[in-house]
Amino acid sequence: MVARPVKILLLFIIILVCTQYSTAQRTSTLRTKTGTIKITFVHTINEAPLVLDSMEYVNPFDEPYRISKLKYYISNIAVKHLKKSFAEPESYHLIDEADAASLSFNFDAPANNYSSISFTIGVDSIKNISGAQSGALDPANGMFWTWNSGYIFFKLEGSSTSSTLINNKIEYHIGGFAAPNNALKRVTLQMPDNTLLLVQAGKTCEIIIAADINKLWQADNNLKIAETPATMTPGAVAIKIANNYSRMFTIKELLTPYSP
Amino acid sequence: MKVKVIIVLFLFASTAWLFIGAVDNGPDPYKPKYIKLDVPKGWPKPAKDIFKDNPLTEQGFQLGKKLFYDGRLSKDGNFACASCHQQFAAFATYDHDFSHGFKDQFTTRNAPGIFNLAWTPLLHWDGGINHIEVQPLAPLTAPNEMAENIDSVLKKLRKDTAYPKLFKAAFGSNLINSQRMLKALAQFTGSIVSYSSKYDKVQRGEAFFTPAEQKGYDFFKIKCAGCHTEPLFTDNSFRNNGMAINPQLKDFGRMRITTDKNDSLKFKVPSLRNITLTFPYMHDGRFYSIGQAIDHYRTGIVTTQPTLDTALKNRIAINNAEKNNLIYFLYTLTDTTLAKSNRYR
Ligand code: HEC
Ligand code: HEC
Repeated sequence: MVARPVKILLLFIIILVCTQYSTAQRTSTLRTKTGTIKITFVHTINEAPLVLDSMEYVNPFDEPYRISKLKYYISNIAVKHLKKSFAEPESYHLIDEADAASLSFNFDAPANNYSSISFTIGVDSIKNISGAQSGALDPANGMFWTWNSGYIFFKLEGSSTSSTLINNKIEYHIGGFAAPNNALKRVTLQMPDNTLLLVQAGKTCEIIIAADINKLWQADNNLKIAETPATMTPGAVAIKIANNYSRMFTIKELLTPYSP
Repeated sequence: MKVKVIIVLFLFASTAWLFIGAVDNGPDPYKPKYIKLDVPKGWPKPAKDIFKDNPLTEQGFQLGKKLFYDGRLSKDGNFACASCHQQFAAFATYDHDFSHGFKDQFTTRNAPGIFNLAWTPLLHWDGGINHIEVQPLAPLTAPNEMAENIDSVLKKLRKDTAYPKLFKAAFGSNLINSQRMLKALAQFTGSIVSYSSKYDKVQRGEAFFTPAEQKGYDFFKIKCAGCHTEPLFTDNSFRNNGMAINPQLKDFGRMRITTDKNDSLKFKVPSLRNITLTFPYMHDGRFYSIGQAIDHYRTGIVTTQPTLDTALKNRIAINNAEKNNLIYFLYTLTDTTLAKSNRYR
């Protein structure tokens, strides 16, 4: 017979050891099996890096323009190879050319090789109808329509002498998540030259995605500044522009895994 | 003996350790008092739970109320939500077709009363607002209403001596962000429920209609309830009830939201609860009396509009006696409890 207090003591020790062990287990599996994917966006026009305000560019119709603001949502990112895929949880990122920190972000993914990456330009319909959000989706970020609830997926503002608007403004606010004005675009990019994205445990690999802004005016559709200097509501024009900008992304470079 | 002492000491130490652990995680004084939305007997369940991601608490409700009455949510301090949504008018703007906003500007629509929003899936006359939590962003940022921006409002709230504590009581920490401000406002506006009119008392067997009211009610059920459906007195649909377009406002209603021309001139069927308090009537406040509104259905409907509701193609035949009875009935929808309750002020 073991004395009662000793029994209680034993029980205590067992419980303590168990809880310690299980938390240790959990963190260690995480540590050994995942690596970090860092994604960086660079914006270019005619191969030159985008500079806000001061630089003038020309679009494919020889219309000159300047950009003062470029912001858009990248969401629901997933990487995939054959049957293996991984989707970043709570995946909402606001890219803002004026905020260098917003142009790169990381997330952890299971160590694996991946041949493609896909993402949505915009914000899925659920988040458009579920009330006040925070973080990247905070309406204070200026990417939310207040009179017609919903996120602005993509915002480009600036000026062009081809624009007929006051102060030669150009303003494209693209959004709309409900049929028939759904402007959500899913983009899938294959890793270049049949290479694979190597996600290695405990290491960081980096994808540099280039966005060629001039595609906005010419890709699936032609869009002349002189004819369409602005659009601020969901609708047919917004969808045309969304189709164009969904074609602007390419993978520029993959950086091999390095230890952070 | 020695063993016992060691055991006792060990037990003592480990309980203390557990306790300290708990203290570390912060046993803060966050003890919200959860409350329930008033769902009157016999009413349908709200179509969607507006408090699903925003658990109703007394502290959240009180914070929302303070925000609702606080002029600092507007640019010049003059235009609290309550400046346009007055309790004695069932939270509509009393006696105004359009409400006053920043710098002597007017709103472009009539301010509706605020009640029973938990049963209202889409807000505003055109249904442009799809969730109660994001509704305040519209008046807050509209240049002719509160003319503010979110960051500036949040700055004012953070500087205040009372708000950080109230946010902590409502949400567990004194972080003040747009999400919490909007959720608190939704807790206040979303829990305003109107169900204490004479009509409700009659339904509950606590009062009786006069013969005229009863006749009006019978008539209403045949001619009006197709759109102004009991017990909310709206079916929450968008319809064209045949009003001539106001050439200055050029307000096409629901079409602006859906871009569908079949939605041209359609507006949300408004609840007729508290109708005596919410005059003037219609989306642009064009009628000052209930009588005028009824006359619209008898003689005013523009029957040439392609989107006119089929139920109104031949207008509605209403004789003078029926009109009077209808008015008597509509008076019974006034909820003075709502208009006076201390809970909402
Ligand atoms: C300047 C006057 C004004 C102010 C200030 C104002 N509102 Fe309103 N409110 C209106 C008008 C006008 C409408 C109708 C808008 C429409 O339908 O387009 C409205 C509509 C609403 C509705 C929709 C009701 C329904 O049944 O569709 C709610 C809810 C509401 N307001 C809440 C608020 C809150 C909360 C605030 C403060 C953050 C506020 N309002 C500030 C004038 C105002
Ligand atoms: C086909 C649907 C329909 C029918 C039937 C109908 N209404 Fe309406 N009613 C509406 C719509 C839609 C509005 C809002 C129109 C607007 O503002 O442009 C409205 C508005 C009103 C208003 C103004 C409420 C306010 O707060 O501004 C009153 C009063 C009213 N109706 C009374 C009646 C009465 C009484 C009847 C029966 C004789 C009736 N309605 C039948 C659709 C209907």
